[in-house]
Amino acid sequence: MKTGKWTALAAAALMSTSVFGGSVPALASDTSGYDDELTIEVYDVAANYQGEQIGWYAKEIKDRLNIKLNIIAPQVSGDAASLYSTRTASGDLGDIIILDNSDMQDCVDAGLVMDISGEIGNYENLQKYSEQINLFNDDINSALGTTGTWAIPAEMNSNGPTDYKESTVYSMPRLRWDLYQEQGAPDLQNLDDLLDVLEAIQTAHPTNDSGDPAYALSLWKDWDGTSIETVNQLTKWYGQEVNGSILIGSDNSVTDLLDKNGAYYKMLKFFRDANERGLVDPDSATQDWNTACDKMKQGRVYLFWYSWQYGFWNSPAKGEEDQNYIGIPLADMNEFQPSDTYYGDGRAWAVGSQVDEEKRDRILAFMDWLASPEGLMLQHVGQEGVTYTVGNDGKYTLTDQGLTRFSESFEVPEEYGGGDWNDGNNQVNQWLVAGIETNPDTGETYSSDYWASFLALNDTKENKEWKEKFGADNEVEYLEKNGQMNPVPSINKALGSDDTDTALMRSECGKQICDTSWRAIFAGSQEEFDQMWDELTETVKGLGWDTLVEYDKAKYQPIIDARKAVEK
Amino acid sequence: MKSGKSRKKWNSIRLFLYVLPFIVLVLVFSYYPLYGWIYAFYDYKPPKPFSQAQFVGLKWFRSLVENPIKVKQLLQVLENTFAMSGITIGTSWLPMIFAVYLNEIRNVPYRKFIQTVTTLPNFISWVLVYSIAFSMFSSTGMMNSFLMKIGAIDQPILFLQSSKHVWLTQWLWLTWKNLGWSAIMYIAALSGIDEELYEAARVDGANRRQLIRHITIPGLLPTYFVLLMLSIANFLNNGMEQYYVFQNAFNKQYIQVLDLYVYNTAMGSGSYSVSVAISMLKSIVSVILLGAANGISKAVRGESFI
Repeated sequence: MKTGKWTALAAAALMSTSVFGGSVPALASDTSGYDDELTIEVYDVAANYQGEQIGWYAKEIKDRLNIKLNIIAPQVSGDAASLYSTRTASGDLGDIIILDNSDMQDCVDAGLVMDISGEIGNYENLQKYSEQINLFNDDINSALGTTGTWAIPAEMNSNGPTDYKESTVYSMPRLRWDLYQEQGAPDLQNLDDLLDVLEAIQTAHPTNDSGDPAYALSLWKDWDGTSIETVNQLTKWYGQEVNGSILIGSDNSVTDLLDKNGAYYKMLKFFRDANERGLVDPDSATQDWNTACDKMKQGRVYLFWYSWQYGFWNSPAKGEEDQNYIGIPLADMNEFQPSDTYYGDGRAWAVGSQVDEEKRDRILAFMDWLASPEGLMLQHVGQEGVTYTVGNDGKYTLTDQGLTRFSESFEVPEEYGGGDWNDGNNQVNQWLVAGIETNPDTGETYSSDYWASFLALNDTKENKEWKEKFGADNEVEYLEKNGQMNPVPSINKALGSDDTDTALMRSECGKQICDTSWRAIFAGSQEEFDQMWDELTETVKGLGWDTLVEYDKAKYQPIIDARKAVEK
Repeated sequence: MKSGKSRKKWNSIRLFLYVLPFIVLVLVFSYYPLYGWIYAFYDYKPPKPFSQAQFVGLKWFRSLVENPIKVKQLLQVLENTFAMSGITIGTSWLPMIFAVYLNEIRNVPYRKFIQTVTTLPNFISWVLVYSIAFSMFSSTGMMNSFLMKIGAIDQPILFLQSSKHVWLTQWLWLTWKNLGWSAIMYIAALSGIDEELYEAARVDGANRRQLIRHITIPGLLPTYFVLLMLSIANFLNNGMEQYYVFQNAFNKQYIQVLDLYVYNTAMGSGSYSVSVAISMLKSIVSVILLGAANGISKAVRGESFI
């Protein structure tokens, strides 16, 4: 489920970035001194494609570094767990290894990762992030009693540990502006007000334009872990984030997930209340992500919460007609939002322990290039002249093809590598440096979402109306101005993976919690809901819940400590 | 004499060589994997190699029964397994009856048509069966649209989320998928019944029903018992694909059979050792069941199968 989540996140991130992309400086064809072609095997938990990188991105790295990529993608292999155990058992996971932090730490422990402390100093682009890299490796070393530089965090930036540069928060209520206005654009005080307006919208529009039934909420179960993922995301509206069996607050408080005063109970009850009013798609508990996704694209869902869900519907043209989804704050919200992933996003890159010195240097040179402005533009936007152009002022503008590159793919001209653009896009699907990083060549972000040219295009009628009503430029500014959000420093640590006992306990309790949560959403009455909740609490306590909560409290304490340290 | 002896010896060696590849196959694919049982006694967790795993003895076996909640869950799972296998075994005569009646159809094209149509679902994977089920029985599926059109209901019925009659509906899906396929064995056996028996009975004035009752069915019973014994040995292996695709939070209490339970508990958390432990228990129980069924058959019918 977790893989599914990341896949979708990545896809959605691409979509949102994509609606406005760009590309890279000139197609320099210097095969700079690398005579032998090198094929690098990338074991990549983020990839949704398995096999050799093809198309325009393959051409760019071949021309520049004489490198080919062979991507091993556990997510598409059919059985990720057995691929991982077989490859780790063989002692060679890949030449480049991209893993979640805790798996990375395990692999360092198992001797599958190469120490690059002697070489990394020679690579200037990577050196820009030496603070983050060292911090991450210090954690691993202190946990394992080793010394060395093992892995490089993914999605780093250099904007500062508490900076939040995005214009949207990750999760908040988002409604279609025209439908919200149709109901008189009421100021929403709390969740009940939100349900009222959703009920009014659904009553007025029981179907979408083509006559398919529409609901305020449509959920899916594919991404559930220890608890239901959709509820987890909504706990962030009230200042708490679910981490395993505990809720960590933006005030650094720690609460048991099953505490009735916690946000998980509150938001689960929100879904139940919604279902009582007939606002929840009856297929919610049985449909998968793809079905839910189709419904969103067809306008059959009235409440969005993820920022990337915008990508399924919004466009500048719809914005002119007020039809875009847009954040509508609740007065009692207290947003939990981590800052930009300054320290990394929870995954890391490493070099496999089986590569020889020559290959190691080529791999490091490749990774250094990936962190360079040239590499980053190619990864985040595309090629200059194809997806973006450079103006006389040196600023970048997306081409028409670049604007819609994810929703409508196109053929890349032969001299740029040919083939379908999306097929030829970087299939590694994981970046060393985040798109929010500032490009020294332009002073703008790498991600095309924040280019002046893009923002101008997106300043639609709807945006202007929203700004007028809420008196802020965007939802982030509104929430910060009203004291409803204070970004939590984003911390990136390898926390170590569960031992077998804990993993088993977590899995058993998680199954109970997810199943009961789904049934509770569809519970007939509040009493039935509370009864299910009480039974659940009793059952999971019998399965060792309290031990698990204590374990997680200890596990996440370093994160809380680090947040406190940064906030000082 | 001497040469005759060595020829005989050569002969047995040659015969042994004929069978050798099959012995090797069985050893490699059936016995060598048993070595994997060793995982049940260790705390194995990738990516650390097995050589670094810690020996934990019977810990995982004990963990299955160490607290009352787990025992309760396991009992429920066993109840589901026994119930669903029981229903399947209790109705295992259906394919036989189906084969008999199919055989009675005199119009050959029609008979072939029925046989093909009933055999075909066997080749559809459970995932596809579920998508058929979903498009028929989801809230906007065929069934609900139909019922709403004719005005029988005004709110869709959530068939797939129902926690009622789970065992029965699962059995219906299974029968729909398997009936034609399981009948094939009986159709083959039918052709083995001596035609003279029928002729003699007809001369004695037996009608079709009497032919079926006194000749066809007794002729099929040995096949039926062999298949019954095999399905008893497979009592605990009632598969997991079907239940895996049909499971959801609402019906899980009744749909979770042993294989699915192993998958849900152990594979979800990557606990290989625990899943090996459970599946070991399963194999042992299956061997015991097979032995028991064989013993009963010996006592009752005087024939054994092993």
